Amino acid sequence: MESRGWGGFATGGLVAGAVLWSLATTDVELSRLFSAGPRIGDFLARMFPPDPSVMTEIINGSAETLRIAILGTLGAVLLSGPLGVFASETMAPPVVHRPVRTALALIRAIPLILVAMLMVGAVGLGPLPGIIAVAIHATGMLAKFYAEAIDGVARGPIAALESAGAGPLARLRYAIWPQMAPVIARDTIFRFELNLRESLILGIVGAGGIGFYIQTYVRSFQYEKAASVTLAVIAMVLAIEAFNVALRRRFS
Amino acid sequence: MTEAVRIEELCFSHVASGLPTLDQVTLSIPPGEALALIGPSGAGKTTLLTLLDGRLRAWRGRVSVLGDALDPDRAPTRARRADTGFIFQDFALVERASVLRNVLNGRLGRMRPLRALLGRPSKDDLAVARAALADCGIVDLAERRVDSLSGGQRQRVAIARCLSQEPRLILADEPVSNLDPARAAEILSLLTEAARRRGATTVFSSHQPDLARRFARRIVGMRNGRIVFDTPTAELTEGATARLYDDANAAVQPRLKAVP
Repeated sequence: MESRGWGGFATGGLVAGAVLWSLATTDVELSRLFSAGPRIGDFLARMFPPDPSVMTEIINGSAETLRIAILGTLGAVLLSGPLGVFASETMAPPVVHRPVRTALALIRAIPLILVAMLMVGAVGLGPLPGIIAVAIHATGMLAKFYAEAIDGVARGPIAALESAGAGPLARLRYAIWPQMAPVIARDTIFRFELNLRESLILGIVGAGGIGFYIQTYVRSFQYEKAASVTLAVIAMVLAIEAFNVALRRRFS
Repeated sequence: MTEAVRIEELCFSHVASGLPTLDQVTLSIPPGEALALIGPSGAGKTTLLTLLDGRLRAWRGRVSVLGDALDPDRAPTRARRADTGFIFQDFALVERASVLRNVLNGRLGRMRPLRALLGRPSKDDLAVARAALADCGIVDLAERRVDSLSGGQRQRVAIARCLSQEPRLILADEPVSNLDPARAAEILSLLTEAARRRGATTVFSSHQPDLARRFARRIVGMRNGRIVFDTPTAELTEGATARLYDDANAAVQPRLKAVP
């Protein structure tokens, strides 16, 4: 009991220390917080009314974001197929699946925007670095999901088909695939939704898509236009979510 | 006529697999027999049935099934595996697939590989599958998904899948242990009746001696990987069954008594 009391005390001290250190060393001028209200009001006022003249840019930008998400997801699916097998405990030995899993965790740990900046540096501006960034970033999660789908397959039905005289391919098609396919479809749709949301901001670092316009209009003080693009982004996110809720219901 | 099963001095021990061992098992079963394996858990019933199904390696002794010697180093041919049907304790069905699809899965060993992969069962395959559904009383469940069925219905599907293999030997591993007593008797009577009509040999394991008495003509008692008795059902004494389970309980009993 005593050690537990000391443990709690130490944890509390550590948390308090961290908060105090942050407060003391961050350059926080509380006065700025009080004048923020009018400034945000001014900002919002300048965004109003949203300028509908940027419709063409919105449509082009959204289409590009959509293309980045679709092609990026396709790339992630292609990479995750083999990587999922290598990361699976039932298909690959520990010397293979452990390092693959660690590598996937590392990929997941890098934010998409960082991967995108790297890719812009590597292949230049435009949608291509966005597509590559999404493909790499999404693989970190998707390959792990695929490995879990493979490992989640019940052995019983496979043994039953083996016992009935089915060959290995027939077992794959009738015992393994029917168990895996809905899980893989659900995970892929989920990842596509995330890809679409995350790629909305890729334009900010020059990796293509609708984010580019938000960036451009805010920088050039054309807040009415930025407002229109922002509204379009919100509408897209809501549409994606509604679409995915409907789609996922089919694969439960 | 050759025996359906012939086992001589069979030994199996594989600690890593967690399977109970088999020790000097010798047993022969004539065609058309309805035999029950009884005994406490860990006796080796599942090990023996799995081995006869050709799904265990690295055993010693001589085993022949339906006239062909089993090879401890490799799986039997597809045709041989199709001849031997297996019914699993936990049903082992593809949950998301329809009842008919699961029953047709039993035909996969009989279909030509390409036809099996294309998913085009022949008229004969469909006819056999329908007959199996009818025998198990589940024709009207054919299009239902398995994950919407009850335990008793699932076991009927599993038996129908086994029957659609047109097996000459049916091995059933605790086929009714997951069911309530009324359902259990129903399922066992369905299974033994369907097997009898098809002239198939049946071996089922059970931990319920009363069910074994009702549905088997011959009863083999197993304990610790050995056969303890092998007798026609009519000659099985209460004492023999009691002794089979007695020692297994003996280890537990003193501790029970010690509780005030």
